[in-house]
Amino acid sequence: MNRYRIAEILTKIDRRIIYLAILLATIVPFLVGFPQPIYVSKESRDLFNWVEKIPDGSTILLTFDYYPSTLAEVEPMSRAAIKHCWRKDMKLICLTTVPLGGPSITERVMNDMAKNWAVEELGEEKKYGVHFLNLGYKPDYKAVIMGMGNSFRGIYPTDFRGVPLDSFPITQNIDKYSDVEFLYIISDNGIVDEWVTIANRQFGIPLGAGVTAVMAPKFYSYLQSQQMVGLLGGMRGAAEYEKLIDSEGMATLFMGPQSMVHLMIIFFILLGNTAYFLGGRKA
Amino acid sequence: MNAPGAGLIEMSVAGFLILSIFSFLYKDNPFYRLAEHIFAGLTAGYYVGLIYQTVVVQQLALPILNDGKLELIFPAILGILMFTRFFDRFSYLSRISLAFVMGNTAGIFLIQQLHGLVLPQTQATIINPMAGDWLLGAVPGGIIIIVGVITTLIYFYFSKEHKGVLGKTARVGMVFIMISFGAHFGYTVMARLSLLIGQVKFVAFDWLPRLIGVN
Repeated sequence: MNRYRIAEILTKIDRRIIYLAILLATIVPFLVGFPQPIYVSKESRDLFNWVEKIPDGSTILLTFDYYPSTLAEVEPMSRAAIKHCWRKDMKLICLTTVPLGGPSITERVMNDMAKNWAVEELGEEKKYGVHFLNLGYKPDYKAVIMGMGNSFRGIYPTDFRGVPLDSFPITQNIDKYSDVEFLYIISDNGIVDEWVTIANRQFGIPLGAGVTAVMAPKFYSYLQSQQMVGLLGGMRGAAEYEKLIDSEGMATLFMGPQSMVHLMIIFFILLGNTAYFLGGRKA
Repeated sequence: MNAPGAGLIEMSVAGFLILSIFSFLYKDNPFYRLAEHIFAGLTAGYYVGLIYQTVVVQQLALPILNDGKLELIFPAILGILMFTRFFDRFSYLSRISLAFVMGNTAGIFLIQQLHGLVLPQTQATIINPMAGDWLLGAVPGGIIIIVGVITTLIYFYFSKEHKGVLGKTARVGMVFIMISFGAHFGYTVMARLSLLIGQVKFVAFDWLPRLIGVN
């Protein structure tokens, strides 16, 4: 068999075989285990250190700016952020700028963490309105982010259940960005740009973000310009944060399949290039 | 991802729709199209309900009726004028609303981009590359930023043919752009795989074991 024949066979591999190989590479590490060492990047550590320096018991804003389609990647970040903040007894005012699924994801994750994780880990349930609040969703995120700089109550007179903010202990002395210590963004879309350019630049609130890996390269420039204190990029960023808070979760579990599939993709890239060079001009 | 507390029926609906979407990888089929149409229909219906509740009811009707905020009638009129586009005779009236939206958006966007993006990002590139520690990478990093910004900007300078020194500099800029594309591509692969892993975990290890009674 000459090299042209080999190249021809390689270039005619059915794409469905490749899909099957990727599927197997995803499933097998779950079954047999494929633990990976996690090295913490500077941007993840910076975010952790910043939150660590915030005085215990402070109030911070936490956003759930993501759609259900990216839950696997960003929900572990939300959970890791909540764990870190509640270990420091911080109060979390949550909101979302995403209409499709945002409010219900916020409700589900916060309730689960408050009723299950907090009881197991901290020995007490976190109470709605005292330790956390869900402001819900309001349309036109640009107007929301700008308006909150003047008054939270101007934009959110009530929480997402329609209860006035004044009736909650958590918001008694909170009405604008300067009343909270930090803005923790978890997002899968370009809304981070608005938070940075409006909330940080115009109103001076320090912020850090956990974003999908697709978006992470874009936001590195905000680290360089010090408009953002730290950044979690994709599932790797979430796994790094889980390591920093010493609480392995879904992201750490997913790093095994992630690494295995990456190896598989590298193998196929090498295979494709081998076929290309073997085929030469004739191919 | 497995939602805590989700019942078997909800999980089965989710699992069936996930498999229907993935079935497109084999070839186009009715299950894929069913899932696609359900998604499109649900999204549209959800948006209509949500916008009606959060805008029309919460931000317009209730403030006017309960708090007497009559000034909200003006934005309501602007909103209604948008619908005149459906009537040829009155469609010109929608331009009033569009003019308001465009002017308002342009004004806000201009300040936001200039003040929040252009100036701080430009400022971040005006650095002393020799300040900082060589060993910690600050000096090489500073030099790379300056060279990268200048050569990339030159790559997008099209008023003179890219020949000689200009051409060589633009080529260096192109290398920086390619490195940036490579980083984006790598991160994108990682992101898409993360989503795949999440769905596979849900189907293979959360839903199916529960469906067949193993879990």
